[in-house]
Parts: sequence; structure tokens; C-alpha cells
Amino acid sequence: MYSALLWLALILYFVGIVLTVPSLMKHRPSLPSASLAALGAGLVFHGSSLVARAINLHRLPVIDVQSALSFFAFLVTLAFFLAYLRYRINVLGIFMLPLVFVLTLFSALRPGPSFQSTAFRSGWLMIHISSIMLGYVGFFITFVAAVMFLIQESQLKSKNPQRTYYWLPSLELCDQLYFRSLKFGLPFLTVGILTGFVWAARTWHGPWELDPKILAALVTWLIYLFLFSARLSGTWPGRLSAYVAILGFAVLMVTFVGISFVSGWHGYLPRLGRAP
Amino acid sequence: MNLALVGINHRTAPVEVRERMSIPESRLQEAVADLIHREGIKEGLILSTCNRVEVIANARDGVAPEPVIREFLADHHQCNLALYESHFYQHRQREAIEHLFRVASSLDSMIVGEPQILGQLKQAYTAAREAGALTGTLNEISLQALAVARKVRRNTAIGASAVSVSYAAVELARKIFGDLTGKTILVLGAGKMSEIAARNLIRSGAGTILVANRTYERAVELAQAFHGKAIRIEQMLDHVEKADIVICSTAAPHYVIHRHHAEQWLAARKNRPMFFVDISVPRNIDPAVNELDNAFVYDIDDLGQVVEANKKQREREAIWAEEIIQQEVQKAMKRLASREIVPTIVALEQRLETIRENELERFRGRLGDLTPQQRDAVDALTHGILNKILHGPITELKSGVGRPEQSSLVSLVRKMFGVAE
Repeated sequence: MYSALLWLALILYFVGIVLTVPSLMKHRPSLPSASLAALGAGLVFHGSSLVARAINLHRLPVIDVQSALSFFAFLVTLAFFLAYLRYRINVLGIFMLPLVFVLTLFSALRPGPSFQSTAFRSGWLMIHISSIMLGYVGFFITFVAAVMFLIQESQLKSKNPQRTYYWLPSLELCDQLYFRSLKFGLPFLTVGILTGFVWAARTWHGPWELDPKILAALVTWLIYLFLFSARLSGTWPGRLSAYVAILGFAVLMVTFVGISFVSGWHGYLPRLGRAP
Repeated sequence: MNLALVGINHRTAPVEVRERMSIPESRLQEAVADLIHREGIKEGLILSTCNRVEVIANARDGVAPEPVIREFLADHHQCNLALYESHFYQHRQREAIEHLFRVASSLDSMIVGEPQILGQLKQAYTAAREAGALTGTLNEISLQALAVARKVRRNTAIGASAVSVSYAAVELARKIFGDLTGKTILVLGAGKMSEIAARNLIRSGAGTILVANRTYERAVELAQAFHGKAIRIEQMLDHVEKADIVICSTAAPHYVIHRHHAEQWLAARKNRPMFFVDISVPRNIDPAVNELDNAFVYDIDDLGQVVEANKKQREREAIWAEEIIQQEVQKAMKRLASREIVPTIVALEQRLETIRENELERFRGRLGDLTPQQRDAVDALTHGILNKILHGPITELKSGVGRPEQSSLVSLVRKMFGVAE
């Protein structure tokens, strides 16, 4: 059921993305409504697939890399809609939607094992997972804003504008997006990490504090805390902050996906749930 | 529709020829009236700007409009048009419509995307309309041309980027600060150029204006004009950090703003960006300031370079505009052509229906009393024959829509079936 819904969502995403291409090429001020409708319908089906799976598993449908990415992709699409409606930045689509498509495709191709784990039904863990995911979505937008800022900044410095100069929003808008997404992401990541600690302290027995994923998450958190405090003091991002935001997102991706393959405690491999 | 356009523009004719051929706005109405009162001409439209003169006429069938237009131009300007022959171009039917749509959409302009042409075409339209020169097809085409121009403007960014140096500065400011509302501008040196630049920025919503000048009186004068504040030149460096945008055009033969100045200001501004526009020659702002994070320095050449890039951008947009125009020309031709065949088809059907009814009437006596079923059968039979006969000519007429041979086809069909024009 959820697999069929996910494929449906994927097809709609694809249609929506294809429909945005001509309007982006032609510098239309807004995305065509057909494209937004397709993406919106994709979002609804994607959400339904997550709900269907959640009902099936009786818990948050995040159990392996695929399902985690599917959940993440759903949140990114949602964030795209909110950001687009708020800022009307067309090019956000260029940055955000292809990722959504790839992630959804990946999770649709390999639905992954569905194992049952009583551990994952814990309320702490659900808050842990969803908070961290929301934090990741915020930081993804921070990353996009930083990339747009850097490109537009170099266009303005070069004094010889190329196409991207006309496409991209003003530095001011990039900064707004950058700061707001930071303000959104950081509290969620903080809550996510704290609830993780609480849950781990109650449940795990062993030296979990040295788990690579936990260490990487702390590094990620420190990077974003630094960026946040720098921006909070009123200092504009400038190139350095933008580079750090990109670095932060790279570390985040490693934390999110990469380390899961080496981490014992956090592996998506069903160590906790004992594979069926 | 029997449409022709004769014209000259900035590409085909030098300014001496264009001014010789131009028709001032005050005489436009009278000129159009003269045009349509000539033999065979039904409708006319004249567009005369400093870069072009275009005369369009819709003539009765069988009349070639071009010689009449040429004769009109020769009479109007009292000259021998043969002297200027090489500068004129002419278009018929579809090409004439396409040309008008392109002109209206500013694709044929010297600066692609310039907005004035639309207003000029509106004036031309009003003049022709008031002269009673737009009564049918050409009226519709002219209105469509205005609509197409608006559509192009709405759906492409053809007129979006600045093609003058002073507007390029405003646009760059917008790419840095987004909205200019509430931004502070420091005008350094109260020359003409800085005045223009400041005026454009104010018009775009910029807030506070500070003016500093070597002679304080002139600064006060300019500050008053902008509802701004004058600053003494000695105190100028203390005020710069408040400014988001600095426009510099002093007569100083050396740099006034150095890298170390800008470093201090940016630090005091917590790195909020500063945009320096240096329109003075020799330059007053050290170009090394541009190397600082969040400081952007544009001198007069840089602005020129941006204008060039903007022109290229407009040309890229023109490709999409051409696409829209092709679609619109296609649509216009379809609409015009199908409208031309509708009366013929209706007349044809009526003609045959009359024949059928008359013949039935004649044979009523010989057929005798018919049962209702038999009467229906006779009706069906005669109708069937008519429809079979009509099928060929109507299909042929419809397939001729938009093709050059259409009007001869229409008159052929009319002749063959004895339907009057």
C-alpha cells in the first residue's frame, strides 16, 4: 500500500519538476500552477504513504535508511512549499526539488525490511527522530541559502553578471532565508539530541556516548551553534559563514546517512529490533 | 483581408531619411484620413517615431495596397519616393501582422524591450481610430498587437533589466539589499551625475539621503531638493558607516575612500553590506575596497559592463518573446481566415436549401399524397444529396484557411454555386 502511494508521489513529483523547467528557463516570476498542483498532489500521496506505513508498523515510519530518507524528502517538499509561498523564490525549486526526487526514488526502489521493534514505539524516540529530521530540513534550507548567497555574491563582485545573477534573489533575501532556517533548525536539533540522550541513558547499556553518530551529531550541533551565535550578534553572513554553513551541511549528511553504516548503536541495521 | 505594410526603420534608413519621412503626431490624424480616402483603401494605420515610420493599409480585394501607400507617402512629403526606395521594406498579409506584433512588443526596437513603443502605438491607434480609419479587420489586428505586446511584457523579462547606467546602479542596489525602503544613501559630491543616480534611488523607495560636498552651500541646496540632510565635508568620514549606498562623484583627482576606511565602516556595521557607486573620473574610491567581504564597488565602466550584460539578457529573453509572437500570429491568422469563410459557407448552405425547397414544392403535386413516413424519407433523401454535394467544397474551403490561395478559392466556390459576393 505505502509502496504504491510512494510511487504515485514519485511520479507526481517528476511531473511537477518537469513542468517547472520551462518557467525557470524563461525567468517567469512564479512557478506554473500545474507544476505546483502536481507537487502538492505528490506531497499528499507521499504523506499518505508515510501514514499508511505508520499505521502498519504502529510507530513513526523511520526504521532504515530508505524510510528515513523518504520521511526527510517529505519534510523537504513541505518546507519548499512553505518557503516558496513565503518568499516566492523560483530557484528554490532548482535546489530543493531534485533532491526530493532522488531521495524518494531511492526509498521507493528499496522499501527495505519491515521489522518490528518495541523500542521504536517509545515516545522519547519518536520525538528524538522527528525533531532531528525537522532540524535537518531547516539546515538544508540554510545550506541552499548559503549556496545562493555565495553565487550571487560572486556575481556582484565579478561585475560581469551571468544568467544566475538574474535568477537568484538579492543578498538580503538570501540572508533572511539563511537566518530564519537556522533559527528553525537549531532548536529542533537541540531537542532531538537531548531526547536522544535521555532515551539512550534509559535504554542502552554500554559505552553509547562514544557512538560515532552521536559524536558526529554533536560536531554538527556545534557548527550550527557557532553560525547561529555569529548571526545573532548581528554580523552578516559574508563568505566565511556561508562556507561554514556548507561544511555544516556536509557533516550533517555524513551524520545522517554515512555513519549509520559504521555506527553500532545507531545503525539502521536492525540491531535493536533483532532482524526477522 | 488584403493587408500591406510599407516602412523604414533605424536599420534600413539613416536618420536623415527617417526624419524626412516622419509624420508628426499633430498631423497623424489628417494623414491617416488622406490615406484611407485613396482609391481601394478601406483601413489604415500610421506609426511614426524617431526610429521608424510604418504605414499599414487594408485594401479592397483586387487592389494592391503597396503602390497606394507609396503614392500617399510621396504626396504627403512632396518628394520623389524613388530616391529613398532602397530604404523601404514591405510586408503583406501574415508578414505584415507579424511585423506589427514584433514592433509593438519592442523586439524590433533599437534597444530591445524599451517600453516607449507601446505608448507610441497606442497614440497611432487613437489617431487612426479618430480619423475613422480603423473599422474592421485592421482595427482588430491593431488591438491584438497591443494585447500581444502586453503579453510579452508580462510573460518574459524582456524589459526587466536596466539599460542605462543610472538605472543599472538602482538595480544592483536591489540585488544587494532587496527592498530599498529605509536604506540610507550618502551622496558625495553634488554633481549632475550623482544627482540623477540619487533621484533614481529615491524613486525606488530609498529612505534617508545625506549630501556632502566641497562647498557646503551646494550640499544644502541638493539636500533640500531631496528632503535630505547636508553634511560638512570634514565630518563626512564619520557619517559614511550609516550609509548603505554611497554615491561618489567629486572632482578630487585622487582616492577619497580607501580600503582601511571601508574596513572600519564594515566592522562598525557588523558586516552589513555597503554598495559604493563611483561615477567620478578619476576614480574616488580605491578599487581594493571591492575585495572586502560585503563591500561592492562599481565604477562607471563596471556599470557600463552591467548594462551590456543586461542587453544580452534582453536578447535572450527576446527568443521567448519571438515564440509568443509566432503563436499569436498563428492564432490571429486562423481567426481571420475562418471568419472570412463563414459567410461563404452560410450563403452556400442557404442557396442549396432554397433550391431543395423550391424543387420539393414543384414536385408536390406529382408525388401525390404521402404518408408521414414517406415524407420523411423524401426529406432525408434530398437532404442527404445536398450534404454530399456540400461536403467537398466546405472541406476544401476549411482546409484553405490561412493559405495564400484562400481568397481565390472562396470566390471560385461562390461563382460555381452562383452565390453573390
